[in-house]
Amino acid sequence: MISAFEAALFVFVLTTALATALLRDILAVIIVFAAYSLGMALFYAFLLAPDVAMTEAAIGAGVTTLLLLLALVKTSRPDLDYWLERPNISALVVFGALLVVIISTLGEFPAVGTADAPIWENPAVTQYYIENAYSDTHVTNAVTSVLAGYRGFDTFGEAVVVFAAGIATLLVLHREVFTRE
Amino acid sequence: MMPILFLSGDAMTDVFLLAAAVFMLLATAMLYRVIKGPSTQDRVLAVNVLGTNTVVVLALLGAGLDVPSLLDIALVYALLNFLMSVAISKFTVEQGGVL
Repeated sequence: MISAFEAALFVFVLTTALATALLRDILAVIIVFAAYSLGMALFYAFLLAPDVAMTEAAIGAGVTTLLLLLALVKTSRPDLDYWLERPNISALVVFGALLVVIISTLGEFPAVGTADAPIWENPAVTQYYIENAYSDTHVTNAVTSVLAGYRGFDTFGEAVVVFAAGIATLLVLHREVFTRE
Repeated sequence: MMPILFLSGDAMTDVFLLAAAVFMLLATAMLYRVIKGPSTQDRVLAVNVLGTNTVVVLALLGAGLDVPSLLDIALVYALLNFLMSVAISKFTVEQGGVL
């Protein structure tokens, strides 16, 4: 059953998402997007994922806003004669079709906390990690031992991708950031 | 959750979650000022109120769901909310500077 808090949060997040898509003034969009990020962090907190909520708080409200503002400083913000975007009908049709497809898959998800969710199909695996994570890797946090131990190569690949992206960003920005005196 | 006063633990959970829902409704009302504006100052102030609202809702959720670690997120938000408002205000006053 959906609680009163969830309903209020749904309304809040939907309104901010719509406003982010429809407002014309870029500075207003950045501010509304920060509000959207507040709502999403509350969602993650309510679904008992404090780590994700913490990330959303730091990235969504802090870093993204600063990044977008910095981008706005480098570019221009035109004066507008109308404040709401006029929706593009053909884009709306494509979006509506995509929405129908996505919503039709929602019924297949197992409900939160059910015993027949796919994760419990093979309890031996989960039990193995819980029992042997420390003796195998000597890392006290089981999640960290799975990420950096059992799935070490996977995480290493991710780290390589992030590192390459960071290097590429530095190379692109080099001309503008480090040579300006 | 521990019973407080004359209410049972379950009733206290409901009270906390209901209070959080009321705060969310207030936040939705505040969205009118964020979206309509008309000036950037209005929006910054409204988003600041939303941030403070979020801190309160996170604390209520932490108490209602019995997850004390949500208080850490509330603290992070309280700090970042301030940073965001300063950045946007600085951007509006002196076009060109954010940090």
